[in-house]
Amino acid sequence: MRHARIILDGRELDIDISADDRITTTEGEVLEVALDSDALTWLPPVKAPGTIFALGLNYADHATELAFEAPKEPLIFIKHANTLTGHKQPSYRPDNIEFQHYECELVAVIGKTGKNIRREDALEYVAGYTVCNDFAIRDYLENYYRPNLRVKSRDSLLPMGPWIVDAADLPNVNDLRLTTAVNGKITQDGSTRDMIFDVPFLIEYLSNIMTLNPGDMIATGTPHGVVDLQPGDRVICTIEDVCALETEIVSEQAYYGEKY
Amino acid sequence: MNEKTLVTSKLVCVALNDRAQLAALESSFNEAPYHKPPTQPVLYYKPRNTWSLNGAEIEWAKAFDGNDVPAMVVGASLGVVIGKETCRVSQQDALDYVGGYTVVADYSLPEQSYYRPDIKGKCLDGSAPVGPEIVAADKITNPDALSVTLSVNGEQKSRFALSGMQRGVAELISTLSYIMTLQPGEIIAVGFAGDRVAVGKGDRVDAAIDGIGILSNTLGGA
Repeated sequence: MRHARIILDGRELDIDISADDRITTTEGEVLEVALDSDALTWLPPVKAPGTIFALGLNYADHATELAFEAPKEPLIFIKHANTLTGHKQPSYRPDNIEFQHYECELVAVIGKTGKNIRREDALEYVAGYTVCNDFAIRDYLENYYRPNLRVKSRDSLLPMGPWIVDAADLPNVNDLRLTTAVNGKITQDGSTRDMIFDVPFLIEYLSNIMTLNPGDMIATGTPHGVVDLQPGDRVICTIEDVCALETEIVSEQAYYGEKY
Repeated sequence: MNEKTLVTSKLVCVALNDRAQLAALESSFNEAPYHKPPTQPVLYYKPRNTWSLNGAEIEWAKAFDGNDVPAMVVGASLGVVIGKETCRVSQQDALDYVGGYTVVADYSLPEQSYYRPDIKGKCLDGSAPVGPEIVAADKITNPDALSVTLSVNGEQKSRFALSGMQRGVAELISTLSYIMTLQPGEIIAVGFAGDRVAVGKGDRVDAAIDGIGILSNTLGGA
């Protein structure tokens, strides 16, 4: 089963999506609408977002691309809900920068509270999986708590969804094709099998430090193949058997409107 | 998750905002891995599992091998509580968006490097007590004129006049609001004395700001 949050006809709804793409609200109302309908506004799929952990340099080839040795310990940074947006929603490119890139990532959504979780038990704590695009503004990198908040904590720059796939329906997330297409052309093509620190490792590691809670998320990093994006570009991040997340890049002025 | 907290949705802290500390570290910040001193506020989050209250016991952290860590430290800061949605505001207008002020303490492992986000050192459960209460913004004329003191077992260990901050409260609110839209109840810990204070098991720590209050916590593990 897949789970999402949408707005339809002005109503904010939590929905379940069956294997044959039928949509039912969690109250049991059947919605006669197609998954690709423009009538649907997709919200970020985690209803009560907690702490968002994101991985840097977690694919050996991407670490090489950024001129780093593969890390011996995970590089983890934190994001908050202000960064989240949904499928088919705009993300913005800040004014006067040279390089903004996407990062297509598998996200593990935590489903129950745990501390000191052993690796072999870790998947019991995962409710499901989704896809995010953890955009980065490389111009803003500084060598203090890198990647710093100015790079990674901006409004709208963590689109996620469109849905969460139950963990039970994805017995092996360690061998899924991961691709990103910009304006229809594939620019990133990797596999989750090349992850350095996998989901069970990361759950064990983080829960050795702190309590994990339902609604926390772990964005597991991105492989090789990042390119610059401009307003008007359409980016689709796809992970096999999970979902395809579409984002349109807009200018800072277009995004903030009268607050610009 | 700790439901007992004065924080709503976000606690963002400003590191390296003590002008004297920045001056002392300048030569090392010109070397690897930093290469140059920071040009922007150096920010980190205390995530929701860290949020705690006045009077709470602070857990003595354990290392990955299950043994108690050898050392912990504490810093204290003025906490600026956002009063209304704050998106892209000027420094001149920034204080109009403050709902109140409080005290934030940050218990952590001693910090060896500022190069990478310090998840291991700063995300310990219950390590960010906030309180004792939120004082309304109109009670504080000039937040940059306040001083933060830290006492351990009744003995003052640190005093930080916020006039010594590299960036003041209004500038920080403005800069942050161009990175992220801030929501009511979110808190910014605007600056800590450069030297964090060593604490031991069972110690009682008082973080105090005149006109705002005393945030008192005791270390566990004794």
